[in-house]
Amino acid sequence: MMINHSLDLPDVADVLVVGAGASGSVAVKALAESGFSVVCLEQGDWTPPSAFAGDKPEWELVKQKQWHPNPNVRGGASDYPVDTSESDVNPLMYSGVGGSTILYAAHWTRFLPSDFKVKTMDGIADDWPFDYAELQPFYERMDREVGVSGLGDNPAYPPGAGYPLPPLPIGKIGRKAAEGMDKLGWHWWPGANSIPSREYRHRPSCLRYGTCLTGCPAGAKSSTDLTHWPDALEAGAKLVTGARVREITVDDQGLATGAVYLDRNGIERRQKASVVILAGNGIGTPRLLQLSTSNLFPDGLANSSGLVGKNLMMHPYGAVVGTYEDPLDSWLGPAGQSIESMEFYETDTSRGFVRGAKWNVMPSGGPLGMRSGYGGRPVDESWGVNFHRNVKANLGRSFEWGIIAEDLPDESNRVVLDPSLTDSDGIPAPKLIYTSSETPSKLIDFHDERAREAHEAAGAITTSTTRLMRDCGWHLLGTARMGNDPATSVIDQWGRSHDVANLYVIDGSAFVTSSGVNPTATIMALALRSVEHLIATRRDQVVSSPSAAH
Amino acid sequence: MLTDEERQKFAAIADVLIPSAEGMPSASEAAVPEKWLDEALRHRPDLTAGLRAALTAAGDLPPAEAVDVLNSEHIPAFEALGTLAAGAYFLNPEVKQLIGYPGQVPTVPRDDTDTYFDLLENVLERGQVYRDVPTAGPDA
Ligand SMILES: Cc1cc2nc3c(=O)[nH]c(=O)nc-3n(C[C@H](O)[C@H](O)[C@H](O)COP(=O)(O)OP(=O)(O)OC[C@H]3O[C@@H](n4cnc5c(N)ncnc54)[C@H](O)[C@@H]3O)c2cc1C
Ligand code: SF4
Repeated sequence: MMINHSLDLPDVADVLVVGAGASGSVAVKALAESGFSVVCLEQGDWTPPSAFAGDKPEWELVKQKQWHPNPNVRGGASDYPVDTSESDVNPLMYSGVGGSTILYAAHWTRFLPSDFKVKTMDGIADDWPFDYAELQPFYERMDREVGVSGLGDNPAYPPGAGYPLPPLPIGKIGRKAAEGMDKLGWHWWPGANSIPSREYRHRPSCLRYGTCLTGCPAGAKSSTDLTHWPDALEAGAKLVTGARVREITVDDQGLATGAVYLDRNGIERRQKASVVILAGNGIGTPRLLQLSTSNLFPDGLANSSGLVGKNLMMHPYGAVVGTYEDPLDSWLGPAGQSIESMEFYETDTSRGFVRGAKWNVMPSGGPLGMRSGYGGRPVDESWGVNFHRNVKANLGRSFEWGIIAEDLPDESNRVVLDPSLTDSDGIPAPKLIYTSSETPSKLIDFHDERAREAHEAAGAITTSTTRLMRDCGWHLLGTARMGNDPATSVIDQWGRSHDVANLYVIDGSAFVTSSGVNPTATIMALALRSVEHLIATRRDQVVSSPSAAH
Repeated sequence: MLTDEERQKFAAIADVLIPSAEGMPSASEAAVPEKWLDEALRHRPDLTAGLRAALTAAGDLPPAEAVDVLNSEHIPAFEALGTLAAGAYFLNPEVKQLIGYPGQVPTVPRDDTDTYFDLLENVLERGQVYRDVPTAGPDA
């Protein structure tokens, strides 16, 4: 039997949250501020802004290794490895307080109304159990919680409250891209970013380093270690870092009783709780459910539907880079989205496929190359005299139209436990089995072609297209999907497991469909909705009785 | 640390990859082999093994030939060497100045809405681009 000996943790917490990332942070803060005793177990640690390399000369060198978003490349002490031998796409994430928001690009985009009704509108996949209007107030509150900079009245969205901060500069790249879109008569709008354009709630304004994808050295970007954790700790939440959860424990009645975790000394500990919330992301959460087998749950916890780990969606990403004659200072941030377009977002069946993609303009970084995944040129194209010519032609003169293609749920795309690979604690690692199916392929071809036209209309001298980047698994979604029917979903519309009445999933795993936009605004709004329902219905919450607990 | 012999071999190969041309110094002229390579390796010690493997694979081949062999037969090692050569080159502040890259320097964001409001008016005139949905669709 293990005991908690650090921090002054409660013997039995009201709520245990696994994961201190985007969704976990929202839950911990809301619960602690409502008077619950909350313990959060996070396998990683704090990452102070001074640790990031964005303001240092070696930035471009270390971003390819120590700050790479792929945990298999980064290989940090907090990371777990992921077997990707059967996956077209590498999963990208970060382990630590703030979770993957530490590295996210902070594009802050909502679903469109049709994204909640894919079956009704397009006859495929499933509808969500609620609609846009239901989530809208949570989106608006989350905009204020994180501090979003943007411009209201975007005709791509229904009317609503404006953003709390004015838009960030779109820069020369945004203006250039907008000229092309204007010529073609296509939709564009200044990008909304969860990056403050001026000082906001104790955070400084963005300083345009353009290094958001490797962490913000200014401490400006809205990662949840900065936006949520200070308030959560102030309200009394307990955070255990370096705590790698290996199992959710259950009682004889099949109710959750807490978690077993390993601290950084390899010592096994246990935290008991009345309610358990999983916020480990679209890979970490199904992995943990699959690890939590018992007599009552031989196929993993909360898995009577057999859908835990299935329907993994990762958003295939296409990129078309255009190079221009004029200097565009295209290393300047934010990175971040300068402008976005929803021109081809909604279904048009004449294209030969349904659904669509959001586009975003992003800067192209420094001379050593944009991000990983774009390389692969023959020797004399990249070296010798052409090394210098390429730098002159591209540096500061090129930008990307990125395309976030909607990924559709497909049960064969899944997370399973790897039979041999383990993390540094000997816990089985996840394996991804994922192929990009036909619809996203057609969709990407169509969108790449249109994005090339957009660059040409803006006056690009050359364009180059990356059809599907391998390192593009930024968005990990769908692996413990919500729904009203326990046979076809893992959790209900409030994030509660259909099988285990005091177990909740509130991270990206909950998604029914993926949309064609960056998901974190939705993940966090959804987490807030779920956790506020839990708070409102606390009197009815079923919990394990002490006699039934092990 | 590299031996003198390794360093010389690296310098010869690096000068094939980054020659003196287009008004830019070669890798050696930019002090890559002596100074900036060590700085790059300090930040990327993981590339040391790849660099050594590349230098071993290059053997006594003339540098241009070595590059061809590395690029076709020793790709990961060549990538390590190439990343170090280019990464070290761009660490040199004089090189940065010559290519006009200030590095990542703090720049206070300035409101630039006035530069694009004219274009945005056209977007607004074109109107709504999202589909309305029926208010009560079937449940999931
Ligand atoms: C490079 C990059 C760029 C991105 N850009 C954008 C963007 O521009 N816009 C956008 O909307 N989204 C973006 N994303 C995605 C965004 O970061 C995620 O959608 C979001 O962080 C997911 O939230 P989450 O709560 O599901 O999980 P996470 O934020 O990933 O948090 C999960 C946490 O759980 C912890 N954990 C997992 N398993 C265990 C365990 N067994 N024990 C203890 N702790 C555990 C992890 O360490 C982690 O801290 C980006 C992601 C990356 C990596
Ligand atoms: S561009 Fe802004 S938000 Fe991004 S890293 Fe730089 S200061 Fe931070």
